[in-house]
Amino acid sequence: MTEYIVKEDALTAFFQAIANGRRLLAPQGQGENCRLEVATGPVSLDYGNTHLSPKATFFPQTEKILAYHKKADQPKYNQYQDLGDHAEPTVIFGIRPCDAKGLAISNKVFQNDRFTDPYWKGKYESALKIGLACLNPSPQCFCAAMGGSPFGEMGLDVLAYPKEKGLGLKPLTPAGEELVKAASLPSADLASEIKDLEKKAIEAQGPLDTYQIINERKIMELYKADHWSATAEPCLGCGVCTFFCPTCHCFDIQDETSEAGGVRMRNWDTCMSPLFTVHGSGHNPRPSKTERVRQRFMHKLKYIPIKQDGVRGCTGCGRCVVMCPANIDIRTVAATMAQASA
Amino acid sequence: MGALETITQKIQDKAKSLLESGQAEVVIGYRKGSTPLVAAPYFARTPSDCENLIWSSFAKLNLANYLPNRTGKVALVAKGCDARSAVGQVTENQIPRDNLYLIGVPCSGLVDPAKVAAKEGRPIQKATETDETITVSGVGFEVEIKKAEVLRRNCEVCSHRSPTMADELTGPEAPAAKPDDFADIKALLAKSPSERLDYFQDLIKDCLRCYACRNACPLCYCPVCFVDETRPQWLGKSTDPMDTMTFHLLRALHCAGRCTACGACETACPVNIKVREFNRVLDKAVQENWSYEPGLTWEQKPPLTVYQPNDPADFIK
Repeated sequence: MTEYIVKEDALTAFFQAIANGRRLLAPQGQGENCRLEVATGPVSLDYGNTHLSPKATFFPQTEKILAYHKKADQPKYNQYQDLGDHAEPTVIFGIRPCDAKGLAISNKVFQNDRFTDPYWKGKYESALKIGLACLNPSPQCFCAAMGGSPFGEMGLDVLAYPKEKGLGLKPLTPAGEELVKAASLPSADLASEIKDLEKKAIEAQGPLDTYQIINERKIMELYKADHWSATAEPCLGCGVCTFFCPTCHCFDIQDETSEAGGVRMRNWDTCMSPLFTVHGSGHNPRPSKTERVRQRFMHKLKYIPIKQDGVRGCTGCGRCVVMCPANIDIRTVAATMAQASA
Repeated sequence: MGALETITQKIQDKAKSLLESGQAEVVIGYRKGSTPLVAAPYFARTPSDCENLIWSSFAKLNLANYLPNRTGKVALVAKGCDARSAVGQVTENQIPRDNLYLIGVPCSGLVDPAKVAAKEGRPIQKATETDETITVSGVGFEVEIKKAEVLRRNCEVCSHRSPTMADELTGPEAPAAKPDDFADIKALLAKSPSERLDYFQDLIKDCLRCYACRNACPLCYCPVCFVDETRPQWLGKSTDPMDTMTFHLLRALHCAGRCTACGACETACPVNIKVREFNRVLDKAVQENWSYEPGLTWEQKPPLTVYQPNDPADFIK
């Protein structure tokens, strides 16, 4: 596939062409307040990353699945009324490569050879994803250390990067190629420029070489290590790390009922809460924050890589690093996991 | 040596001697954070651990939060508000007084990273501080900011900066800031009920129900919070605005007359909600009705947690 260029004065036309009547989500607002939203204002090209990850686009914090009606005079009496799958044709511009990778990891959880989640599938597959590569990674970024790249391609249809106040575009999938072609753009060979910019952006991040060690250590060796109580001690047990994480995808199904009927919904859940694992009997297999914190880091750095061919469950977006009120930094925890004795 | 370094040195010395003499099994203080503008909770258990203890105007969490359910003797590095929270926990029977040693830090107010970010929009890679200023730097810039211009809003109106109940002070008493005059709360309370509801609904519109405010709060030590009860389940788990509002209102009411305005809730909130607005309404009511401020004596319990036979209200007799 060849690459393409969008000149500064062609940006507005480009965004109109790729939307082509579909919903366009793009970075809106500046700095910490930047959000991936329906584009009503100018599209931001200069931002670190969006405040929240884009996962709610495919996996809303609350998603109503079905309703049921218990009163005989209601039209849907005694029937399930499907409320799920609010998919609409969408083009997303400006996902950072770390977030696109996080969504691709979740995609394997929601769609695999055992299960297909219709609510996720509808939304994920009806969205064309254009990533925006990072020329200047933020101080908290460590995607390269997690096996990704500021120019990472996983989970994207097109990779864009800022080029002379416009954009360079590299289509990655046939759907992406088609999307870009529809915008009638000048083509160019940008491969070597992309390679140089990627090298520079990776070098701007600090090195982190502890993950190979974690990879090589046995599960039980990491699990039984003696540091977990100390690692977990500052944890407040809030859900900030999980809610902001682009790969965290755990949910809870709830029925909200009344005399007339009810609604079944699924809501984001968090493994940092005792409620996440408490059984109907009252027994809790993860009774203290030590077990809960261990679970989160083992899941990200050991269990997901085992299940997903070595791809780590942390993409290095750095949101949990910045947002954790107690400054539990996954980079530090990973280093501890690599060194700690059992 | 500036005041910050002096305090840090005194904290380290005291922590060492408490651990060595067995007066404390653990000293809960702050260490340097892994990211700029952060000092993180730290648990020192050996004399050599104590070298990691620091004092900083980025020490935003309230460490009294780590006291309930703790067994054994503990020393706590506490600024004015944190020490009052710890005293409150003693009066509420969450930790025996004999198990607690307060290393009090006279505080001159903590820095609000959001205000720093508003002044300096570029990504900050490093932050250092002196007594009066912080210096933030990143790619191609270095900017000095006066701390007084970027204090957290609760620190701007703090009337108890020095922890007078502490077992030891690490420096001379800090002059009190002007007390909260509740001018904005008075204006809010003069509005109609529906306008007040609008105000609070708008305040929490970004709430994710992550409960960081609750979990950072030293008053929220219930074994199971009402939002986590399942039999019966009092509250829905969705993003329904009524459920979210119920959480904030009930939490605030549970904290009425107990809040020391430490601001840990606002510090922890990842979406910058001014969580304290709920409590400030109640702080004002408690101060006006009972002339009470929490955590200033080891004996007096919060007015809403006690009943006295001479209570002037008729409904309870």
